[in-house]
Amino acid sequence: MILHLIKESPAQSLALTTCLRYVRKDDCILLSGNAVNCLLKVEIMQRLTGYTVYVSKEDIAARGLQRFVKEIEQVNYSDFVTLSLKYDKVISW
Amino acid sequence: MSKFIIQVNSAPYGNSASFSAYQFAKEALASGHTIDKVFFYQDGVLNTNMLNSPASDEFDLQQAWLDLHQQHGVPLVNCVSAALRRGVLSESEAKEYQQQHWNMQPPFIMGGLGELVSGIEKADRLICF
Amino acid sequence: MKKLCIVFKQAPHGTAHGREGLDFALLSASFEQEVSLLFTGEAVLTLLKNQDPESIGCKDYISTLGALPLYDIDTVLVCQDSLLELGLSHEELRISTLVATSDEVAEHLNQVDEVMVF
Repeated sequence: MILHLIKESPAQSLALTTCLRYVRKDDCILLSGNAVNCLLKVEIMQRLTGYTVYVSKEDIAARGLQRFVKEIEQVNYSDFVTLSLKYDKVISW
Repeated sequence: MSKFIIQVNSAPYGNSASFSAYQFAKEALASGHTIDKVFFYQDGVLNTNMLNSPASDEFDLQQAWLDLHQQHGVPLVNCVSAALRRGVLSESEAKEYQQQHWNMQPPFIMGGLGELVSGIEKADRLICF
Repeated sequence: MKKLCIVFKQAPHGTAHGREGLDFALLSASFEQEVSLLFTGEAVLTLLKNQDPESIGCKDYISTLGALPLYDIDTVLVCQDSLLELGLSHEELRISTLVATSDEVAEHLNQVDEVMVF
């Protein structure tokens, strides 16, 4: 089980695209930094359906995106630390 | 309680990843975990340039790293070859390369990539930013 | 000893990621770690023959790839989908590699201890 850390928006880098090639259903994906902008992208959110996805609370708040957070769980850095140990490893794409 | 090694690959200004790495390190320590080492590689070495001069009303990430070192004794290690290529030199490299100036902020220290490898081997978890 | 997978996801020469990734891979192997490599996306271009990076001011780190067996780096995976996307075939690559499906890559990423992406 892997925690996939995505720090950039798909408009910036292929981090998420690459991750989606190899992610498994029992992994999780944490969207942080500009990757939280994914919340506004319908097509990407559809591709994330069925995966465990978290978004960084601080990055959402910094960008004023709270109203776009619907069913996705927000995590702070303390939760991030916990998640990084719950999973076997962290891949920072 | 677990032992982390944190790798920082991005510049301190112009990219949010270094700040993210710092936040993670701070929270990990607050939760009682250990940070064996913060290793600066690729553009991450720019975090250690003492000439970084953020405006007084902006967050001073370098100072934050220094505080982390002071308060928790976290070793802050630069990859020496990545640093040299990016113009970050300690006093001893400046002498070795016959440069008149040096700009790596102590207590950041220079180390080889081997320190990253041995750090990964000893730590429970590697987190890259 | 840990199992480390070094992932290359960016094209060579335009940035230093590939070069610094390979530096790290070789060093890890010389420190007795079990190192594997994965080339995905445009990073598969790293494996093409007849490159001349010095002509654009870059270090020719590509030639170092030939030394991988000397470092006991025997597992070099190439993403099959990425090769297809770029219209490349296995025969066009300069070193012996294992063309892997996404499932096979996922399985490999699960098996190693740590993964570092460049």
